[in-house]
Amino acid sequence: MELHADTIYSYIASRLVPRLDNVDDLTQEVFLAAWKSLAGYRGDAPLHAWLLGIARHKVEDYYREKLRQPEPLPDDDSGELPEESGPKLDEILDQARLGEKIRCVMDGMPHEDALLLLWRYWEKRSAREVSEQINRTEKAVERLLARAREEFRGRWSDA
Amino acid sequence: MPEVTVERLLQNAASAEPAREAASSRLKSRIFSAMQLEQQESGPLLSLAATHAAGRKLCVFEELVRIVPIGEAAKQKNPCRICHARVLGELVENAPIYWPGCPYVGFQDR
Repeated sequence: MELHADTIYSYIASRLVPRLDNVDDLTQEVFLAAWKSLAGYRGDAPLHAWLLGIARHKVEDYYREKLRQPEPLPDDDSGELPEESGPKLDEILDQARLGEKIRCVMDGMPHEDALLLLWRYWEKRSAREVSEQINRTEKAVERLLARAREEFRGRWSDA
Repeated sequence: MPEVTVERLLQNAASAEPAREAASSRLKSRIFSAMQLEQQESGPLLSLAATHAAGRKLCVFEELVRIVPIGEAAKQKNPCRICHARVLGELVENAPIYWPGCPYVGFQDR
């Protein structure tokens, strides 16, 4: 648990952003679910990939549940829209759409490739740090990263 | 899409998101406690004597429970439930727990 808690936490946070208040609870649920079904883990995939699979299902369940129980609208019948401040709505929506597309593409990628991209770009881990984590040389990590980006590019144009 | 654009796209997307921290030591402690409880609910835990024999270090408190002349059933209970170190670990970030063998020590980032 100690080894993989940060990765799972980081993954869930990236999927729930900007609503981060449930990240702790979901991370805990992932480990409890994994603990309960540990007998079913056959070791075909690395443990972190198996845990990430459970995390992905938990996040999907979370959003399904949220959509089933929409938050009530504020009780304000003035009919006036609040004054705009900060970035324009269009820009926020564009950014959100782009982020969603990136997440969709990464969700469809092999676990190893998606994890490498997550570590490299979101967690800003250097090739050396990644190489120490997975017991490969820095050069091998660079090659794996290039392959992951290639995989991303292929899926991006299909998405 | 060229390789450079993929790199830039990923860098931009990552920097557009707020910085995410690693799991807190409190969360790790809570998860560990929850897993212990889950295990406890499915049946008696491995006794402290068996845990010791299996090579796992026991903390001072567990060691005390192991050697006192009480029934085996009591030694299969989870002593962490009544330990202040667990409470500290779950409530305080980087809690000052230094007992050798205490599982909660490992979750504190120092």
